[in-house]
Amino acid sequence: MHELSMADAIVKTVIDAAEKNDAIEVLEVTVEIGKMTLLNPEQIKFMLDVLSEDTILAGATFILEEIPIEIECGSCGYKGEIDSEGLDEYTPILICPKCEGHEISIIAGRECNVKNIKIEKSDEDAQDS
Amino acid sequence: MHKIAEVEIQHDIMLANRKLAKKNQKILDKDEVFAVDVLGAIGSGKTSLIERLIQEMEQPMAVIAGDVISKFDAGRFEKYDVPVVGLNTGKECHLDAHLVEHALHDLPLADVDILFIENVGNLICPVDFDLGSHIRMVVISVSEGDDTVEKHPLIFKDADLVVINKVDIAEAVGADQDKMVDDVKILNPDVQVIKTSLKTGQGLKEIIEAIEKFMNE
Ligand SMILES: Nc1nc2c(ncn2[C@@H]2O[C@H](COP(=O)(O)OP(=O)(O)O)[C@@H](O)[C@H]2O)c(=O)[nH]1
Ligand SMILES: [Mg+2]
Ligand SMILES: [Zn+2]
Repeated sequence: MHELSMADAIVKTVIDAAEKNDAIEVLEVTVEIGKMTLLNPEQIKFMLDVLSEDTILAGATFILEEIPIEIECGSCGYKGEIDSEGLDEYTPILICPKCEGHEISIIAGRECNVKNIKIEKSDEDAQDS
Repeated sequence: MHKIAEVEIQHDIMLANRKLAKKNQKILDKDEVFAVDVLGAIGSGKTSLIERLIQEMEQPMAVIAGDVISKFDAGRFEKYDVPVVGLNTGKECHLDAHLVEHALHDLPLADVDILFIENVGNLICPVDFDLGSHIRMVVISVSEGDDTVEKHPLIFKDADLVVINKVDIAEAVGADQDKMVDDVKILNPDVQVIKTSLKTGQGLKEIIEAIEKFMNE
């Protein structure tokens, strides 16, 4: 439900990085979203399109990648990804795939990470930096 | 001639909030303030519970009242003569660490032992945002329906203390309170679940004991 503020933070982060790197246009933005966040990638994408209008990001392609859930099991020590395909949305957090224990801590899957951007800069600027 | 370049950013917005939350906890720890993030559905009894705790507990307290429009709850707390800061979230569905940091600066933390932070009534969005509190207390009530826990697993998975309130009207609304307790236990086997009625006072003593136990840990 807070996709708007997340999208807003993403846009601000990108504008900041684009300006620091003397971009004249942002062509592509890659964002990684953890599967455990309560963020809906479809909605984020829509908001990003709306918010980037009239900014240096206008017309950029947004690539949203999913970060799978990784857990560590307190009972048997299993550490790694869990297969959440076909499972009920959030049930994977409940059970260790190895020992079926419940003492699980989440080590990945809660991110909303602005990974990288592809920008266009004028040749002059490129030589400067 | 134009040149295309790739720029590595790696800025995790969620992590940024968690870092700010850690900073908040340091601010609290400096003055030995124990902070409780009070989360739950709209109308589950979050404000009522904090009001009762202010009256029943001995420790000097302060409250951050977070809501879309916070002045109503803030006004309820002010009656008890405790420092209160209202945080309006406006169109936002949750408090975040940044908002709370501002509120911390407006509170006399040196004179406070317990800080209650009433989050926006919502079982979904606040989950993603740590505030820097020492524990998360989730308050739901039987009137939201006894399938509330199943429908919102993450908030219970992360909870340190769960309150199932309004058990005085469980029968009237046809809710199975024990099912709600069991559902929480499946998600979070070690968490203490307390059934309460703020009308009769049932369970209030247990909540106070639970909070004090956390404070002494
Ligand atoms: N019957 C009953 N009503 C309650 C109880 N706790 C709170 N209420 C009522 O529920 C309503 C919402 O409570 P409030 O504390 O404002 O909920 P909040 O939105 O979670 O802060 C108020 O009218 C309270 O008087 C309870 O244990 N039993
Ligand atoms: Mg309230
Ligand atoms: Zn295991």
